[in-house]
Amino acid sequence: MRFDDITEAIGNTPLVRIDPAVHGLRNIDLYAKMELLNPFGSVKDRAAWSMVRPMLAGAAERGDTVVELSSGNTAKALALIAGMHGLPFRSVTNRMKVPEIKDLLLLLGAEIDELPGQSECLDPTDTDDPLTRMYRRLTESGGGFVHTDQYFNELNVEAHLNGTGPEIVKDLDGNAPDYFIACVGTAGSSTGVARALRQHDPDTRVIGLVSAKNDFIPGIRTIDEVHEVGLFDPGVYDTVEPVSADEAIDGLLTLVRRCGMLAGPTGGGAYQGAVRFLRTVDASLTERRSAVFIICDRVESYLSYLRERRPALFGQPARPHSVGSLSPAEVAAAPVVAVEAAEAYARDALVIDLRSPYAYQALHIDGSINIVDEAFGEMLAAGLPFSRRQPVLLVCPVGEKSASYAALLQKMGHPAVHSLAGGVIAWRDADLPLVRD
Amino acid sequence: MLPLTPRIAPITRSVLDEGELLEQLVEGFGSPVNVVLPQSAGANVARFLDVYRRRRLRGRIHFAHKANRSSALLRQLSTTDAGVDVSSLEELQHALSSGFPPDRILATGPKDRAFLWLAAQTGVTVAVDSLAEISDIPGRNAKIMIRLSGFVSHGVQMVSRRSRFGIRVGDLDTALDLIDGRAELVGLAYHLDTVAVAEKAVAFEGALAALDKCRARGLRPWTLDIGGGYGVNYLADGAQWERYTSALAQAVLGNRPPMTWNGHGYGLRAENGTLRGSLTVYPAHRGAAGADYLDQLLDTPAPGQRRPLGDLLLDHMYDLDVEPGRALLDQCGLVLTRVVEVRRQDGDLLVRVDANARDVSTEEHGVLMDPVLLGKDEGEGDNDGEGEERGAYLLGNLCLESDLITRRQVRLPRTPRTGDLLVFVNTAGYFMDFVATTAVRRPVTPMVALYRRDGRWRWCLDENYWPEGAP
Ligand SMILES: Cc1ncc(COP(=O)(O)O)c(C=O)c1O
Ligand SMILES: Cc1ncc(COP(=O)(O)O)c(C=O)c1O
Repeated sequence: MRFDDITEAIGNTPLVRIDPAVHGLRNIDLYAKMELLNPFGSVKDRAAWSMVRPMLAGAAERGDTVVELSSGNTAKALALIAGMHGLPFRSVTNRMKVPEIKDLLLLLGAEIDELPGQSECLDPTDTDDPLTRMYRRLTESGGGFVHTDQYFNELNVEAHLNGTGPEIVKDLDGNAPDYFIACVGTAGSSTGVARALRQHDPDTRVIGLVSAKNDFIPGIRTIDEVHEVGLFDPGVYDTVEPVSADEAIDGLLTLVRRCGMLAGPTGGGAYQGAVRFLRTVDASLTERRSAVFIICDRVESYLSYLRERRPALFGQPARPHSVGSLSPAEVAAAPVVAVEAAEAYARDALVIDLRSPYAYQALHIDGSINIVDEAFGEMLAAGLPFSRRQPVLLVCPVGEKSASYAALLQKMGHPAVHSLAGGVIAWRDADLPLVRD
Repeated sequence: MLPLTPRIAPITRSVLDEGELLEQLVEGFGSPVNVVLPQSAGANVARFLDVYRRRRLRGRIHFAHKANRSSALLRQLSTTDAGVDVSSLEELQHALSSGFPPDRILATGPKDRAFLWLAAQTGVTVAVDSLAEISDIPGRNAKIMIRLSGFVSHGVQMVSRRSRFGIRVGDLDTALDLIDGRAELVGLAYHLDTVAVAEKAVAFEGALAALDKCRARGLRPWTLDIGGGYGVNYLADGAQWERYTSALAQAVLGNRPPMTWNGHGYGLRAENGTLRGSLTVYPAHRGAAGADYLDQLLDTPAPGQRRPLGDLLLDHMYDLDVEPGRALLDQCGLVLTRVVEVRRQDGDLLVRVDANARDVSTEEHGVLMDPVLLGKDEGEGDNDGEGEERGAYLLGNLCLESDLITRRQVRLPRTPRTGDLLVFVNTAGYFMDFVATTAVRRPVTPMVALYRRDGRWRWCLDENYWPEGAP
């Protein structure tokens, strides 16, 4: 395979069978469409390229900015394509909840606009919601924007009607699968694939998966939000079912740990939703059936999402030297210096200020050094960062964190460590000097 | 008919149980009657104080007076640790006469010279709203804060609504030049009209940076005032709220019968079978409201420094001032109305009450919740067979087509009868007098304070309520 342009690598992803020992279905062959293997990392590469390609020449001529409402994969693909053509890209969103994706987009050179929340003192005469205002700005001609409009753009569907769908049929030796299961974001992939499959076999059953109302799976819509999607046509799906974040993560873990597939949460959701649905039909089947689901993207961008929901997955054995390992009694017994005695004590001690760098720089005790508490905790995990003969005074805002660290240092065998009672706030209240360098 | 059952705290419940007393009040004063429950406010202050205590924060909780004009509420609050945020000359006079010492009063909003004069004269701290105001402050000893707006975000651009208030952060240096020696800068302030924590985090961090700028100029402001907007949870059941909003969207799309007067969409509309616009109603069921919302905000990492905002505040040794209005009046009042007409029209049940949408302004503020119908729950009345729950449209008493108490079809436990009392609960924050009108020569709605003394409920006119006991 030799290409002149990375966009030529979009599409033609493999269809891989899931080991029946993993899914446990007796009469159904289950396949994963590996959209995560697209060059920019997701199923959205196809839609992004299909939508933006016809706009590129004009946009380059006028110097327009490419704009899309996206909080993830579409933005990523468009940012890369825009970059290849020397165009700026801006993503507008109110749902950018995964910090890694934010950072990645900024790294790729995208600008990100985050829409405001609802007003607390509601003004109902202001029907002009920010999203509507944004749409109006984007569609003004000569406004300097080209808007790919993924939630309404038929080219999003066509990318899958002409690509993803026929590829699946080809890989199943010219047959459409009996069941097709996909998560619904813009509905582009599920609609396009469903149309292609039904051209071969009108009886193909299509199951759309959305997240439950108060749940969040990055990349797909909730059961309410799908109705805001222009491309969403309920007639495409035999059923639309909710899948929970919990199920999505269970599915993700199965794919990652047992199938060698680095699936993200929606891939996991599609797998789990597929197995949940297929189990209900499996028992009554008398002949072999086939089913296909989509793995949309990769797991690496979702580590913080996973850590937040399943901290145990990242569980590490308790650190030997951590404040978390102290008992309340040990903290209460931490050696402290009262403010009245602190100025004298500080003269001969190493004074460590545990507050944030900006706060330290703004005002601090003269001669103190700044190690922010988190970093200090990391250092202690590896052992004492100063000699036992060195007297130390720990300072934090109110004397709580410093007391914990003093107790820890004492436990680690440091004989001359103290915490400033009441912290730097008590020091200030006693009118003791604070400096700014 | 999908219900939106209001959250009713025990104190509100025990008032609703006093049917006879409420009946006498409406009989005596005429419908509607505003009822405030001053003894309920202290618990809300205590919840905020608890957040302060747990986080070792210092600073003042200023009640935003604008949320209710009541004297009883203000006098009761003056007996707590709360201060008061006043936004007019009259509110300032009211606060002074309700027992607040000047050091627990903060003057906010745009101010005229009279307001500035009385504030400076009494030693009340002034949060200046514009550059011009700084020059207008009389004397040289006033304590001031600067209200900032227009904070800029870095990396991800936070698109906030434009604010007409405050001094742009970019103009901070100009403001500090103007102050130079004319007043003492005690802190910086902002207030953002949004429920979004992420937006507030941008402002919070921006204000910390601005405070640092003040320090760099040798000033020593020690207070960050982050304004109001902590919200109230109005509904008893989040699942009802979710079911209702989902169904409303379906009704707008035409997939189910209308649930609102003339199919009003509350900001939603259908275009070619797709839902457009966005739901412009108050998020009546909220995960975290009031003091819990403040707690959540303080746990939020600063977008730039990625350290929790509460930690940064302590790191910098700043006091935190807040100005909650609505949140401090949670469960502090209700509006009593009389049903004056019940009829059927085109299959709908129409219930007219002797009050208008300005008297019970939940609709104006986008808060959707069912009223409470007093009296027996059995389906007596103009019985149409089953004694079951039913939907009704609530009409107001003005000669305006638009005068509906709410355009939402509400759920009632039975068909009301003329003469019944319909009670709107949890209305003390903004829904009583903020937009009330004397159109068609309607009198100003009377306000009474209900309070418990010696084991029973008593009442008096709002202006005659004085808290019990020595301070
Ligand atoms: C991670 C992820 N999964 C699933 C989808 C859903 O794909 P579609 O937009 O084609 O419905 C998207 C796209 O928004 C996505 O980003
Ligand atoms: C400056 C200021 N502070 C406080 C408030 C009170 O807001 P809330 O009642 O939402 O807490 C307002 C409300 O408009 C305000 O403008």
